[in-house]
Amino acid sequence: MIARLPGNTAPAVVFALFLLLGPTPSVASIETDLSLEPAPDGIDAGELARKAENNMRSERTYIAAKMTVESPRLSRARVVAFHSWENSPEKKSLIRIDAPAKDKGTGFLKLHPNLWMYVPRVERTVRVPPSMMLQSWMGSDFSNDDLVRESSEIEDYEHRLLGFDPGTNGNVDRPAYVVEYKPNEDAAVVWGSIVGWLDVETGAPLRQDFFDEDGERMRVMRFSDFKTIGKRHVPHLWSMTPLDKPGHSTSIEVTEIRYDADFDSDIFTTRNLKRRD
Amino acid sequence: MNIETRLAWRNVWRNPRRTALSVAATVFALVLVIFSISMADGSHEKMIEDAVRLSSGHVAVSGKGYRHSMTLEQFVPWDGRVEAAIEKADSVRAWAPRISSFALVSLGDRSHGSMVIGVDPEREAGVTKFVSRVNEGRFVDQNPGPGVREVVLGRKLAERLGAAIGDEILLYGVAYSLETAYELFEVVGTMALPDPRLERNLTIVHLDVASEFYVYEDRITEVAILADSAGNAAALRTELESVFAGPLGDELELQDYEEMMPGLVQLILIDDAGMYIMLAILVVVVGFGILNTILMAILERTRELGVILALGLKPIALFRMVYLESMMLAGVGLAIGLLIALPPLAWLNGMEFPLGGDLAQATEIFGMEPVLTFKLIPSNPIFSTLTIVVVALLAALYPALKASRAHPVDALRSL
Repeated sequence: MIARLPGNTAPAVVFALFLLLGPTPSVASIETDLSLEPAPDGIDAGELARKAENNMRSERTYIAAKMTVESPRLSRARVVAFHSWENSPEKKSLIRIDAPAKDKGTGFLKLHPNLWMYVPRVERTVRVPPSMMLQSWMGSDFSNDDLVRESSEIEDYEHRLLGFDPGTNGNVDRPAYVVEYKPNEDAAVVWGSIVGWLDVETGAPLRQDFFDEDGERMRVMRFSDFKTIGKRHVPHLWSMTPLDKPGHSTSIEVTEIRYDADFDSDIFTTRNLKRRD
Repeated sequence: MNIETRLAWRNVWRNPRRTALSVAATVFALVLVIFSISMADGSHEKMIEDAVRLSSGHVAVSGKGYRHSMTLEQFVPWDGRVEAAIEKADSVRAWAPRISSFALVSLGDRSHGSMVIGVDPEREAGVTKFVSRVNEGRFVDQNPGPGVREVVLGRKLAERLGAAIGDEILLYGVAYSLETAYELFEVVGTMALPDPRLERNLTIVHLDVASEFYVYEDRITEVAILADSAGNAAALRTELESVFAGPLGDELELQDYEEMMPGLVQLILIDDAGMYIMLAILVVVVGFGILNTILMAILERTRELGVILALGLKPIALFRMVYLESMMLAGVGLAIGLLIALPPLAWLNGMEFPLGGDLAQATEIFGMEPVLTFKLIPSNPIFSTLTIVVVALLAALYPALKASRAHPVDALRSL
């Protein structure tokens, strides 16, 4: 026989259970995790998403960055320095690794939908096959697919406003609108949905949670260290935590970013990929 | 011999031709059942054997969570403790350490993702058939010199890459240290494997080379273990579980082939189900044959049975007599059937006959070698014989009841 609990102890019991079990890594639905305030009327989720995307991207973008990979395997974080050129309308990009020494000169060339890789030490150019797309990129928590995936956060998704996050409950540190990105059926997207926190003031993304098709949260990406570049508010630190790999995280620290940069389209060739610069 | 037995025996042979036919049907059914089951047992054992000798043995030891993630993250500490524990288990036939991971394999402008397995060639030869499956060139050398990096490719993978013996291929992956791992390897051989998926996805290097390539130090991803006999896989698992009990065991997980290859287990179940349905139909038909024989024998002897009853034989004795007839009929058939079926099966036991043509192709789809094998397990003839005995008992029920319930006066009047 189980003694009947007085009515008012029930919340306490639930709370105790919660403490015992800890936060569960999986959530049944996106909303249950969020205690959001309703957003003011007249806010359009699609418009918020467009603003955020335009804030982050341009037609021709140059980035120099340092990627730091942390893992329980490593006593010292792995740091990969690279710079990249992207021509977004042509869906082309080039990434050149500068460090560590072993990978210096390694190049990645995306000519949608293909990904090419050049390994200077063995002088081989390799097309990364589809079966390798979900493998780790340069030992990070990003996959090759993350590099190649060419989806527009505007065209490939339906947007729905979930609410307003005052930025005081630990999700993000600034007031933000929370928008759910649901991929269109024909979009080549591996995620079931993405929930984005978009800064109320600047429109820049503060955080993105990626869910798989079963609604399980797979990664959390946080944007911070904002700097103003022209009219843009650009995060210079992107930190990604894969929730299925405890103790792992990858962050990208942008050292230089140039929007509407001036470079030729002919740098996106396999011939140029082999140049070591 | 009492009177009932003698009467029954005489009655069985009163119509020798009919009895012979009925006996023949029983013999035929028994031989067919025993042969079918032994063929199925043989092919299933062969399927399991082939499958475990192309994968991770009967039982695999790996780091906790490895089967789920299949990455280098989960490992077996290879510092001698696991080795010593496995050596303690009695039902181990052979074991082989492995380092498996996924990597890009590339030659010229062609590239594919492939499972790359680092093996100890001598140990591996005891567990899997990779070494003997080399169809061109040779297997990787047991003692690779410093800086020697040899690779053996699945035949289809080599074809897809356009790789020939002597070519230098690039392997590119991510090491345990999260550094990029890439080196050129010399193709020294290709393997012809019965499973096309394996032929497309298998790259083998030396364990030490893999360890260096993946910067894996004193770790391996799994130990593949073969039980001393196919039927002993479960016993091996239990034994290993006790051997690994303790702090070391907490870091490890054990998986038997049934867990690693649920598809194979299901395939065998479906195959068995189909066979048993066919055999059940056959046995039921034989049952009706016995029923027919005994019933005819009763009907044509109605007058005689009337006389016996009139002379004072108890109906229960008559019931027993008819039952004895049925048992004798089945018994003679079963005895002859066992004599016909068992000696050749005992001789065929374990022999392999190559299959040809479409049948060979069909078996290869399931990753099996195209051979026919027979396996005689004692439970097979025992089970088959008992089944037919039960069917004969059921078949005799109606004629026996009919005979024992006959009214002497009616019976005498008939015919």
